[in-house]
Amino acid sequence: MDRIDKIRNFCIVAHIDHGKSTLADRLIERTGTLAKRDMQDQLLDSMDIEREKGITIKLTPTRMTYHYQGEDYELNLIDTPGHVDFTYEVSRSLAACEGAILIVDASQGVEAQTLANAYLAIDNNLDILPVINKIDLPSARPEEVKKEIEDVVGIPAMHAPCISAKDGTNIDQVLEMIVKEFPSPKGDENGKLKCLIFDSYYDNFKGAICLIRVFDGSVKVGDKIKMMQTGKVFDVTEVGIFVPFVKPIESLKAGDVGYLAGSIKNLSDVEVGDTITSAINPIDTPLPGYKKVQPVVFCGVFPVDGAKYNELKDALEKLKLNDASLEFQPEVSQALGYGFRCGFLGLLHLEIITERIEREFNLDIITTAPSVYYRVHKTDGKVEELSNPSSLPPPTEINYIEEPVVKASIYTPPEYVGAIMELCQDKRGVYKDLTYLDTNRVRVSYILPLGEIIFDFFDSLKSRTKGYASLDYEMAGYERSELVRVDILLNGEKCDALSIIVHKDKAYSRGRALTEKLKKIIPRQLFEVPIQAAIGSKVIARETVSAMRKDVLAKCYGGDITRKRKLLEKQKEGKKRMRKIGSVEIPSEAFMSILKLDDEDK
Amino acid sequence: MLGIYIHIPFCERKCNYCAFSSFVNIEKEQDRYISSLLQEIEDFTFDNYEFNNELAKLGKTKTQTYDVDTIYIGGGTPSLLNLDILAKILNKIKEKFNVIQNSEITIECNPNSLTLEKALGYKSLGINRVSLGIQSLDDEELKFIGRLHNSSQALEAIDIVKETGIKNISCDLIIGLQNQTPEKFKQQLETLIKKDIKHISTYMLQIEDGTPLAKFVSHNADYLPSEDENVLIYKENASFLENNGFKRYEVSNFAKIGYESRHNFKYWTGENYIGFGLGAHSYIDGIRYANASNFEDYYNRKLALKEILSKEELIEEHLMLGLRCACGVDIKYLEKLGKDIENNENFKYLLKKNIIFKMGNKFFLEPNYYEVNNYVIVKLMA
Repeated sequence: MDRIDKIRNFCIVAHIDHGKSTLADRLIERTGTLAKRDMQDQLLDSMDIEREKGITIKLTPTRMTYHYQGEDYELNLIDTPGHVDFTYEVSRSLAACEGAILIVDASQGVEAQTLANAYLAIDNNLDILPVINKIDLPSARPEEVKKEIEDVVGIPAMHAPCISAKDGTNIDQVLEMIVKEFPSPKGDENGKLKCLIFDSYYDNFKGAICLIRVFDGSVKVGDKIKMMQTGKVFDVTEVGIFVPFVKPIESLKAGDVGYLAGSIKNLSDVEVGDTITSAINPIDTPLPGYKKVQPVVFCGVFPVDGAKYNELKDALEKLKLNDASLEFQPEVSQALGYGFRCGFLGLLHLEIITERIEREFNLDIITTAPSVYYRVHKTDGKVEELSNPSSLPPPTEINYIEEPVVKASIYTPPEYVGAIMELCQDKRGVYKDLTYLDTNRVRVSYILPLGEIIFDFFDSLKSRTKGYASLDYEMAGYERSELVRVDILLNGEKCDALSIIVHKDKAYSRGRALTEKLKKIIPRQLFEVPIQAAIGSKVIARETVSAMRKDVLAKCYGGDITRKRKLLEKQKEGKKRMRKIGSVEIPSEAFMSILKLDDEDK
Repeated sequence: MLGIYIHIPFCERKCNYCAFSSFVNIEKEQDRYISSLLQEIEDFTFDNYEFNNELAKLGKTKTQTYDVDTIYIGGGTPSLLNLDILAKILNKIKEKFNVIQNSEITIECNPNSLTLEKALGYKSLGINRVSLGIQSLDDEELKFIGRLHNSSQALEAIDIVKETGIKNISCDLIIGLQNQTPEKFKQQLETLIKKDIKHISTYMLQIEDGTPLAKFVSHNADYLPSEDENVLIYKENASFLENNGFKRYEVSNFAKIGYESRHNFKYWTGENYIGFGLGAHSYIDGIRYANASNFEDYYNRKLALKEILSKEELIEEHLMLGLRCACGVDIKYLEKLGKDIENNENFKYLLKKNIIFKMGNKFFLEPNYYEVNNYVIVKLMA
């Protein structure tokens, strides 16, 4: 058998929480790649945030050696993110594989992401091996779930291994199936170099690291390589594999998965989906499927301490290397000073990035309410694209505005269809389609403004359907809409960072909800603070924060001064997170409060 | 001069709002506690204490004097103690320290545990100031917060103390109880003024986590007056007291001239004080200490706190304490510690807004803003 015939490149796809990371851990353990004592739970989820949220954001490929019928097989597991925000990253890592293990929870059965990810794998021409997980649960119904997979997903599942990744039951069956069922990679190790970058990250010593799948040829230290999209040329300084920790090796050849370093200083030179070839003997056409990822949700990110602007810039640049989809450009706000307008793939992505800035770079930041990209058609015929409400031109210069819409597919048990339709209607949705996938699963399709989806649509959906419904969406172009900007005035002064763009029918209720919310968030000051919502010069809602009356008068018992000082120090810390708009101090969370408005209306 | 604080952690029962070190198992623990307390006083020596070098910047040197001019016996309920025990404690202090002539010696008393016999005894032991935990003159309110006395017992207690010839009587009142209005509160003050009380402390009710009161309030949010009502009561009555010859020398303390509590002043001006007993706090040469607040640890002389104040903390404390009381904040003191307050933007702003005012080398909080002093302090700390 040739070297390449003993390689299997595969990934694991699943609905969230169906046990992907746990299975990955078991495979690593069972193949002896890591001794049990070295295992941390859910090893592949390397970031704190991933472990806390139980989701996988970054991809960590792992090479395992599996001994089967007298041969050592090289199994490359490429982990994939499991959230709708990261569809492009998933598709690129799928493109690096030949096979996909589809995990389905033995009690929950096929879920929305099961379907979405399975189809994504099918679209990428991967062989799919269904695996039924969590058979240790009392509510497990593996035979029914197998049938569900055949009926709903449409792939044979009768021979699917039934496992418990948690207990380690039947893991060997999975390993055998990987070797037996998945094809080995095709490719010519003597051909011209052709590699796919499916992920990247930054190493402080080695520079940008490309995670690659070699399709043809081979690459070793000293080779001159070229990035086909950016045209940049680099000398390879290191190649290696993950076991699952970094291990340099001599070369990577056709079929292999590993990493490559080349003293790549500039983060933007490594684009996920790009093709690497030889600079001396290049191929003509890159691998298909590259696209520049387009962020769809935007918000302002500002350092709490204005002096830390450069540190924030540095943090964003470092994060961007690990995350090709993050975009940012400098922005100035009257209220918040110097910061960045950042673009994200979705709300979860936004949340993850902002959390990482705070945790990994130890920076306190303020984020403004998320927004989408609007297309403003002006009366002079020009078209402006903008995401920042405060850059919206005055109404007299606007002919009309278009907003991005998505095609949303909501998967749900039939009894919630009514509630879902009500929600979609309320969110200005246009009904498209309703399909019964089987007797207890319906797909409801709507065209919805993206701007409405980012206003807690997901939470509302979950609460109205007791968590049974799931949402998947794709961008579906732009549509004309009656949009207005609602400004917030504090003590008569406009606070640019609190402006929002909304549909005119919703302006009053949002304006009212926003002023009420701010009244709760803004602490009392030494003087009264009026909060107004206005469209242009017309005030549509008003609340008042009454003046502070007292904040002290406690006894200092028996000379316990420390307790009192600690209390003040806490207040002082709180103050650091305050922003001054004119003479009004507002806490930084006020800027994100707009997001949670609809929650409170319910 | 040193101040000495003695903590008596025993009560007949715990009040509903109390979150401090006090226990109701007096019979079981008292003997052991008192002997440990006496031993603690006996063993005291400055050799066991360090000097915080930051104080050198203020021209201070390590304290060696054993001169004492204030003693404060607090609790808990010190008036539960029998006279002979009290005598032992005071004698131990006098053996160890040099208690100078005309020292201020205070005892806290609950109206229900005070008898004429006891009060006369206090006087004979040299106690010259009595702080009475009146809290309210409304029987319903007293019951609500779990006090064991009623209003007539409270007034009786005042008469008892006066009968001994001790003139320096302080009464505590709590603002924020259920029946209060500014007018009703004023009537209570009037009653006390008629009794020729020299010192009145008005504290706003603090709802401390974990107390029965906190639990009650969480289910009955509107039972007690609102914050705004409390401030109104406080403000109106502060001016009422001032019109009747009282001086507000601290946020919640009012006194006739010459009757300010010298002991409490030590807390606010950074003078040394030594606390003996369970959970007692001391401040010696720029370092704060607190004894353990459970009996076993206290008997083993474990500390709950030893805090060597940094330069920043010294500054913060001076601001916090100076703005709380009529002693004000010393600009030169801050300067010696490296804080140039006069060029601070917030300082200028507060001065311009007449929230603070300056006299000589000191600045003070405008009394109108006493009730928002945290806000002002935090602004100046930044």
